Amino acid sequence: MKVRTLTSALVLGVALAATAPADATAAEGWSPAASEKLIKLPGSYMEKAIENDYRKSALAAKLTETDEKVSFKKQSLADLQAAVAGTDGELRRNLEHQFLTEKKNYIELMREQTELRRARAETKVRLYERLLGKMNAKKAVVSKGQAELLNNQEAARARFKSTLANVDSTLLQPTYAAESKYAQEYANNLAAIERLSASINAHPMNQAPEVMGEPMTRDEYLRHLIAQNESEIALVDQERAVLGYMAKLVSLDALALSQDYEPDETFAAADDDEQRLTSAVDFFITN
Amino acid sequence: MKTILKTTAAALAFAVVAASPVFAGTLENMERERAIMLETLLSGNMTPAERQSKSAIARVRLIDLERMVLRDESLTGKNTPHVRAAFENYDLTFLIHASAENNRAPLDHWLTQLGVSTQSVMGARPGLR
Repeated sequence: MKVRTLTSALVLGVALAATAPADATAAEGWSPAASEKLIKLPGSYMEKAIENDYRKSALAAKLTETDEKVSFKKQSLADLQAAVAGTDGELRRNLEHQFLTEKKNYIELMREQTELRRARAETKVRLYERLLGKMNAKKAVVSKGQAELLNNQEAARARFKSTLANVDSTLLQPTYAAESKYAQEYANNLAAIERLSASINAHPMNQAPEVMGEPMTRDEYLRHLIAQNESEIALVDQERAVLGYMAKLVSLDALALSQDYEPDETFAAADDDEQRLTSAVDFFITN
Repeated sequence: MKTILKTTAAALAFAVVAASPVFAGTLENMERERAIMLETLLSGNMTPAERQSKSAIARVRLIDLERMVLRDESLTGKNTPHVRAAFENYDLTFLIHASAENNRAPLDHWLTQLGVSTQSVMGARPGLR
């Protein structure tokens, strides 16, 4: 009777675990901000900075802890499974019951883990969307007058650049004027800036992010990261469905175990006689 | 005592504000220098040698100032009437560079841009406006 009560409790427990609501506190463990500093970082470095921020969060600590628990639980499941196979009689029944309890615990742990992974992926998607929105907003704030001014400034600088050598040869003739201190210092500084700029461009941390060998713009890379995390969310949802099936199997195993203890032969015989709806399915299928 | 402290603090604040330098932008500096140069070139109160010497100094300063304005990133997209007007006419704003580009003296280039030529001056008739 005691075993039957325990088994019933197990069935109820598994059913509750499978339908438990999402962990509301999971998302609170990591709340990164879409800061200006983050927007200015090169694409690949931005992802690394976000990952570093995540690693320091309570959410990451909780997920690591849950992963460790899952790993231990899997090991104890394997041990119990081996033990069940090597025994019989009352001891086997006790071990089978323990095995079911461990399976139920494993499902609960996995449910917790999928919730945490979902929270991580959703937080990342929200963050990348905010970053993308801010980047696009910056580009969009150009009025008609400002656009005209930018065009004029670009044209003025282009004209200055294209005529510089010619103008220099005219203006800096000895009869006209010698090169000023500003011009000399500017040339020196420009040479230094060009060397530094070349180093910056060649720096591994400043390389444009690549996906499958193709360089991407920051916008494209952010959209790629959003898609990656959306697929993680979809996979987590699928894993939850798998967990639901696992929970169902554990419930059925628990029921079977309780039936083994007190078999109701009358009920079983009546059950055999009952007409099942599925046996009539063939009548409704025409081909 | 409290009033004295308040007065001292106010005086100190005023002194700090009064002592802080007010920097004109590159554009303002360039335009001031250009105005002075044009005034020198058009002035009838100095000898040709004096005009030549003063305008040569102003031209050297203007070469640098014009380049500073063209390279000033803080002016990029700064949508103020002053900046807009400056970049609307390269030839008038960057007078020294534009005149050198066209192999003209700055004053000639300036007058040409304003539509004043030797022909138009010679063809003009004195009269009331």
